[in-house]
Amino acid sequence: MRHYETTYILRPNLGEDQFTEIIERTNAIVTDDDGSIIDIDRWGIKTLAYEIKKETQGYYVNINYAAHGTTVAEIERIFRIDDRLLRYLTIKLADAIDEAGIDTIKEQIATQAAEAESAEKTETEGTEETAAKETDSKKTAADTTEKSEKTSAETVEAEATEDKAVEDTAVEDTAADKTEESEKQS
Amino acid sequence: MPPRKRVFSRRKVCRLCTDKELVMDYKDVKTLRNFVTERGKIIPKRIYGTCASHQRQVTEAIKRARHLALLPYTGPTQY
Repeated sequence: MRHYETTYILRPNLGEDQFTEIIERTNAIVTDDDGSIIDIDRWGIKTLAYEIKKETQGYYVNINYAAHGTTVAEIERIFRIDDRLLRYLTIKLADAIDEAGIDTIKEQIATQAAEAESAEKTETEGTEETAAKETDSKKTAADTTEKSEKTSAETVEAEATEDKAVEDTAVEDTAADKTEESEKQS
Repeated sequence: MPPRKRVFSRRKVCRLCTDKELVMDYKDVKTLRNFVTERGKIIPKRIYGTCASHQRQVTEAIKRARHLALLPYTGPTQY
């Protein structure tokens, strides 16, 4: 048995009944083929980054399961036939998994969910985390600005300035060399 | 004898190596947005300083996220 994870996107206008029907059908394929479902995560309707089959939104479902390779082939075959599905992606998480492994993963997911809930409840923690991330990104931005005075921190990510930044660093490198040389001479 | 040419630039440190908790996952779009430009391109490691192995993980995760329409192939990342 292998450990897999499949994410698939359904058309958003199907309605709750059809969502459940498709999800249950998929889960049935796994369990019938003596695999086992570890976790189901419905992300719900999200906006797509680009249109897929004229849809701008999609209903995301993520399932985590242990099954054989043939099961995955079967699931994907069904997915390809069904045009209520927009997209799917299967990823192999581990080459081998046994009953004990399934249980430990279930526990891990449970604890993670509990942590996420507690983090949501205590808002202060959440803001701290985001603040830390912000400072992190600022740091990297500062790094680049030091090297290239011309490029402002905001345009660091703009692709047009990427090459420029490289040139600037090259210029700065030679400048640094010169100062080094002069120091040696003195 | 000319002095040996030495290149001085601030050493970029891989952000993923310093932050051990940060694991790249295609589902975590918020984190992945840090590694793409405003137009959705993957930021090269020569700009960001991520180490080779982490850059591979980042690239893999971004490509998976793109396939699932969590990130755009091109175009603005905020929508």
